[in-house]
Amino acid sequence: MESSVLECLGMEIIGVMSPVSICMFLVVLLVYSLSSPSTTTTIATAANLVYAENPSDTTAQKLEGAVLNAVVFVVLIALVTFLLVLLYYYNCTAFLLHYTRFSAFFVLAAMGGSILLSLLQRFSLPLDAVTSFLLLFNFSVVGVLSVFASGGLPILLRQCYTVCLGIIVAAWFTKLPEWTTWTLLVALALYDLVAVLAPGGPLKLLVELASSRDEELPALVYEARPTVNTRNHAAAVGFIVTTAGVSDSETSRIELQVVSRDNDNNNNENEINDEGERSPLVGRNEEEEGVRREIGERGIKLGLGDFVFYSVLVGRASMYDLMTVYACYLAIISGLGCTLILLSVCRKALPALPISIALGVLFYFLTRLLMEPFIVGTATNLIMF
Amino acid sequence: MEASQGNHPNPNPNPNRNNSVASSVPVWPTIDGPLGLSEEESVGYARRFYKFGFALLPLLWAVNCFYFWPALRHSHSFPRIRPYVVGSAIGFAVFATLLSSWALTFAIGGERLFGPVWDQLVMYNLADRLGLTGWS
Repeated sequence: MESSVLECLGMEIIGVMSPVSICMFLVVLLVYSLSSPSTTTTIATAANLVYAENPSDTTAQKLEGAVLNAVVFVVLIALVTFLLVLLYYYNCTAFLLHYTRFSAFFVLAAMGGSILLSLLQRFSLPLDAVTSFLLLFNFSVVGVLSVFASGGLPILLRQCYTVCLGIIVAAWFTKLPEWTTWTLLVALALYDLVAVLAPGGPLKLLVELASSRDEELPALVYEARPTVNTRNHAAAVGFIVTTAGVSDSETSRIELQVVSRDNDNNNNENEINDEGERSPLVGRNEEEEGVRREIGERGIKLGLGDFVFYSVLVGRASMYDLMTVYACYLAIISGLGCTLILLSVCRKALPALPISIALGVLFYFLTRLLMEPFIVGTATNLIMF
Repeated sequence: MEASQGNHPNPNPNPNRNNSVASSVPVWPTIDGPLGLSEEESVGYARRFYKFGFALLPLLWAVNCFYFWPALRHSHSFPRIRPYVVGSAIGFAVFATLLSSWALTFAIGGERLFGPVWDQLVMYNLADRLGLTGWS
């Protein structure tokens, strides 16, 4: 029994950490490939409504402006989340579903298209307009279908597209200035903590509402048709919020807050079934930003916002040095492990951002301010290495 | 306890699966196995994806082949699903061949083959002209 328990737990942990690691790795690759020190185009977004950071500003100005930016952004997210709760409460699920599909299409087509064009320019790939349009169109439409169709597409495809959405949004977030990014990450971690754990928090309300509605649904379980439950719930939940910026829509920020509830109660214990059962729950990492982690009866669900902000942190760290990337990656994975352990203890929805972001930020600044001067100094003087 | 129960195989609901001869015949039409669609649902989905593929969406044909791979792989199984999956495979193969030929011709031929029009059609120049390079 003990070995089997450890085996299942390990598989669940790997199932959660693998897509997170892939997402972070690809964002770092993107940042490395496309960022150039000469480019200082600051895009106006919801995350820097108040203050546009300038390198020539003083430290006090930067800090004050960044804090204001973070506060405004968090307030915007909180307002939109409460709006979501209201819409869900009053059964506007059709509107939420269509809006989610539009947002996913926008992320894949517009934001993904921008990244594709930058990659083509960076590597001088002579792709023609017709081919580019066809590839992007197919990619976007299949993405929308796979993320929101219930049961009609492979689970692996859904997982891949979920990670793609996280990568694209995170890559855009790395365009924010440095001080604004760090302050924003800390503020979002705190918001996550409050929204999920405080009574009356918007994400806690959302989870409780979804739970109560799930219980009302008749749990018809068929061996061959576990997707019956999924189809019922897919109509009930799933939202993405766009917090539009001041500038044109191309630079709008997509704050992914996808909620899904899965009551798959598959009693089929075949080996194939066991293997397949774990992946859809990992692939359905469509939890609300705050409702990041929740143990369904079968597996762990991780919110898409977690992917985004873990990757933003690592992407920002990669703009400085690879040492900070390794430190942040290890810190985030450790934080995720801690959250999973807490999850197994508490058995309720927990925010996934606070521990990982706290450790990531801490390790970044420790590595940057203490470790790197030490190592570089000793290496230069041939004391070490 | 729950985890250990998960490792105990239930009596197999389909006794034919224990037969070594019949074990080569797939039971589920999708690669997701019991978590995927049943045969009844699969027919509708396969037909829908096959038809949507004609709307400039050949990637859906590829997804169709990938998802219903058991039906494609075993020639005698799922007779109602198979025509759509085979049609999707043929359609995707044709489309991929055509698009690859065009893209490679464009990339390798370059300005020598297409003249000054090449500079206007190549995507990074077009992106510059349309101002779509806001990200980098």
